[in-house]
Amino acid sequence: MSSPIFEVDNLRAHYLTRFGQKIQAVDGVSFSLKAGEILGIAGESGCGKTTLVSACMGLYIPPLHLSSGDVRIEGKSIIGMNVEQNRRDILGRKISMIPQGALNSLNPTRKVKDLATDMILSHDETADKRQVHARLRERFRKLGMPADDVLNSYPVQLPAGMKQRVVIGISTLLDPRVVIADEPTSALDVSTQKAVIRLLFELMDQGIIGSMLFITHELPLLRHVSNNIAVMYAGEIVEMGTIEQVIFDPRMPYTQALMGSMLSADSGHRDQKPVSIEGAPPNLAHPIQGCRFAERCPVARPDCKENQQVIRIVKDRQVRCQYAE
Amino acid sequence: MLNQYPTLKHILGRAGWYFVTFLVAVTINFFLPRLGDANPVDTMMAKVSAGLDTASAKEKEESYLKEFGLVELDPSGHVQRDAQGKPVRTTLASQFANYVGMSLRGDLGSSILQHPKRVSEIIKAALPWTLALQLPTIVFGWLLGNVLGALAAYKRGVFDQLMYPMALLASAIPAFCFGILLVYVFGIRLEWFPAVGGYDDGLSPALSRQFIASASYYYVLPFLSVFLIVVGGQAIGMRSMCIYELGTDYVKYAKLLGVKESKILFYMFRNAMLPQLTGLALALGTMVGGALITEMIFSYPGLGMAVLTAIQGNDYPLITGCTLLVTVTVLIANFSVDILVGILDPRIRAAQRTGK
Amino acid sequence: MPSEPSPLADQPLKFEAKNLSRSFGHGKKLVEAVKNVSFGIASRDIISIVGQSGCGKTVLAKMLLRLETPSSGTLSFNGKPIGNERDAREHWRSVQAVFQDPFSAFNQFFTIRSQLKSSFKLFKRKPEEEEMEARVDAALMAVNIKPKEVEGKYPFELSGGQMQRMLLARIFILRPQVLIADEPTSMVDACSRANILDYLMKLKQELDMTIVFVTHDIGLACYISDSIFIMHEGEIVEQGPPAQVTGSPSSAVTRQLLDDIPDVHRPWIKRGALD
Repeated sequence: MSSPIFEVDNLRAHYLTRFGQKIQAVDGVSFSLKAGEILGIAGESGCGKTTLVSACMGLYIPPLHLSSGDVRIEGKSIIGMNVEQNRRDILGRKISMIPQGALNSLNPTRKVKDLATDMILSHDETADKRQVHARLRERFRKLGMPADDVLNSYPVQLPAGMKQRVVIGISTLLDPRVVIADEPTSALDVSTQKAVIRLLFELMDQGIIGSMLFITHELPLLRHVSNNIAVMYAGEIVEMGTIEQVIFDPRMPYTQALMGSMLSADSGHRDQKPVSIEGAPPNLAHPIQGCRFAERCPVARPDCKENQQVIRIVKDRQVRCQYAE
Repeated sequence: MLNQYPTLKHILGRAGWYFVTFLVAVTINFFLPRLGDANPVDTMMAKVSAGLDTASAKEKEESYLKEFGLVELDPSGHVQRDAQGKPVRTTLASQFANYVGMSLRGDLGSSILQHPKRVSEIIKAALPWTLALQLPTIVFGWLLGNVLGALAAYKRGVFDQLMYPMALLASAIPAFCFGILLVYVFGIRLEWFPAVGGYDDGLSPALSRQFIASASYYYVLPFLSVFLIVVGGQAIGMRSMCIYELGTDYVKYAKLLGVKESKILFYMFRNAMLPQLTGLALALGTMVGGALITEMIFSYPGLGMAVLTAIQGNDYPLITGCTLLVTVTVLIANFSVDILVGILDPRIRAAQRTGK
Repeated sequence: MPSEPSPLADQPLKFEAKNLSRSFGHGKKLVEAVKNVSFGIASRDIISIVGQSGCGKTVLAKMLLRLETPSSGTLSFNGKPIGNERDAREHWRSVQAVFQDPFSAFNQFFTIRSQLKSSFKLFKRKPEEEEMEARVDAALMAVNIKPKEVEGKYPFELSGGQMQRMLLARIFILRPQVLIADEPTSMVDACSRANILDYLMKLKQELDMTIVFVTHDIGLACYISDSIFIMHEGEIVEQGPPAQVTGSPSSAVTRQLLDDIPDVHRPWIKRGALD
């Protein structure tokens, strides 16, 4: 078995608000990725998924701060690295990210070609512009896009699906070993979503992307995209295991509730009616002693709110619940 | 036919609207000052009639009335008179027709107060002073203000904490207060700079070294009084535009891709600058009429002073001439911004193309 | 509380469209967003309009809302052509909408409660102060939010799912005859979607509302609809009850839409198997 190319070790990150409040948005997250592997991260909004992106990339821009922990790419720690060195050698090059492209992720007043060139020149100042343009054309064509049209367009001229492909194209220009995809399909219709996932798979199969962290709140999507799944709640990973384990046999009450809330084409005439999870995730500005899901948990017991929950191994997967079995 | 050239169609469409605006503005320019019922010829006669006998006074009055198109003429070119022997006044409408006809020929008529000086002559003499005062303050003030604002937004911290309140203060002080303050402190108390005027009394405008030195010396206070206000206002606007741009998704994305800070700074600056350009063009457009208060405080011999004295003396041709100039410059400036922003901003270009 | 019976409530069809079209642009750039569609929407039905982005579903919904004018064909509401009254508000008293982004539907500078209360402005006659307060409370309870939870709160303090419920609370206050819901769940977490859809069904059951639900996800449509319209390139290519549309789809478009939804129990796409 090959050694992991991406390791996140007990990572904790917090925001410091102007009023001196500390919000622990990522708390004790650990996982690792091997070459060719896709790890899905599931959770509802406000669970810390988006903070995890910056935290994993070693980009701490105030008010976000590192509390503790380590992130290693190909065995080398990127935590505590000089900011400029991290920018030049790591960000976009070793580890890259794919945002929700239909949002305003592309500078509206710059052509796709120029944005992509900026990205390459930022990491290789000596590159020749014309060669870079040729390289761009080749790469975009390889990804099945009408390269000349797309590269010479401004973002507003592209439909949402194409914008998302462009974002993927730019993010993966430097063949990153790790890619973090943050809800890359949630603004797209189902058919475009499928096309975008195909593109990501192709990038993995061609070796352009080494490994991927796929963040979404759609569990059915993760079931088809990822190899393993980590479920996040209130800044922590509460259950992590294979598809078989997490999707088809969840042990953590939160994962069970998530699965129970999903709608599908068959759900109209299935006996089980989907049930939404009532309430909202806890406010992380106040430290929580016990289980963070206890407030909303349908099977919570009196001591769940008091006992600090630690990761246990239940049926071969990690679960952060003292009563899971 | 034009549908194949959406940009041209857009420009022509805009031009049409600007022309309509121009016509409306010209009409208002004409009628507004004439709404009062003061008769300028009476004012002029009061000045010149002393020492004239009745016949020659009457002749003089007739020539004035004829010159300003205020009376009906009979076919032989003489002033028509009613039964009491009073000249028959033309209607406002026919005065307007006369004015439009003259304007189209480029003739702005002659001033009433400074008769027989032509309006165009007066404007020509005053305009360089106004331009010299306004153009550098607006252009350099705009540039400096935008750079300061962008830096404050980007660097934040101490620089921002110092710059922001100072800019707020500068832009919040009314222009006349600031001007008077400068006059009082540097002109009267400290006597570092002359308090009023455009050049030394003993000199007359010429391209001599002595005159330029004198004019520059007199220039300092009026320049500062406008400049600092422009810098402050622009800096505040640019700062908030940049803060907005820095918070956008595309900036975050570029940072996560390791794009160089200088590039991100350039993205921010350029995108924040687009709305600021509109501000610049508007300032340039209104600059001809905009320095009224400053020129009053410093008794600066520019257009503002000319308009002021014209209004005080019911000098219609001069008022209308000056406002016409202001109207034209404002419209040209706005039109250029419309076209320029359309060229620079692909979002607006796309909107023009789809006609939304 | 039963809704006030409308004199037209017993009309069999709320909306009726005949050869309805809407196009944009002209010449070479002519885009036919909606092409010659005819349909009827029965009172107290939940109808879903399903299709990919750009299929014309939103344009169709906007015509029902009187936000777009048809290029040709007729569209009537309660038997009368839409657009005849001079005041569009007349139409909006009967037909209301909720959209994707609940945050943009609220003013961020006012409290949610005060904005819910201002909904009464649409009524010809504003009720008494106490009645308004009571009706706001009742509407909040209807979407399962304790009035205390949002007391004094501003839109930014709530999540997307909660805000979408606020929009629905507004509908519980306004009680229109018809609700147009355009992708109301797309900014809501997957785990709260069923919730939103349940409230739509509640509107139908408790207030006899007719609902037009616009979505790209046929799964959501199946969950709540009495009837589904499948739209593709401006045309309605298939329509029928959910069981029929999903069970034995007659159109390739429908099959594609069903196929494209990732479902945990069905194969979707395989790594390495590219086609």
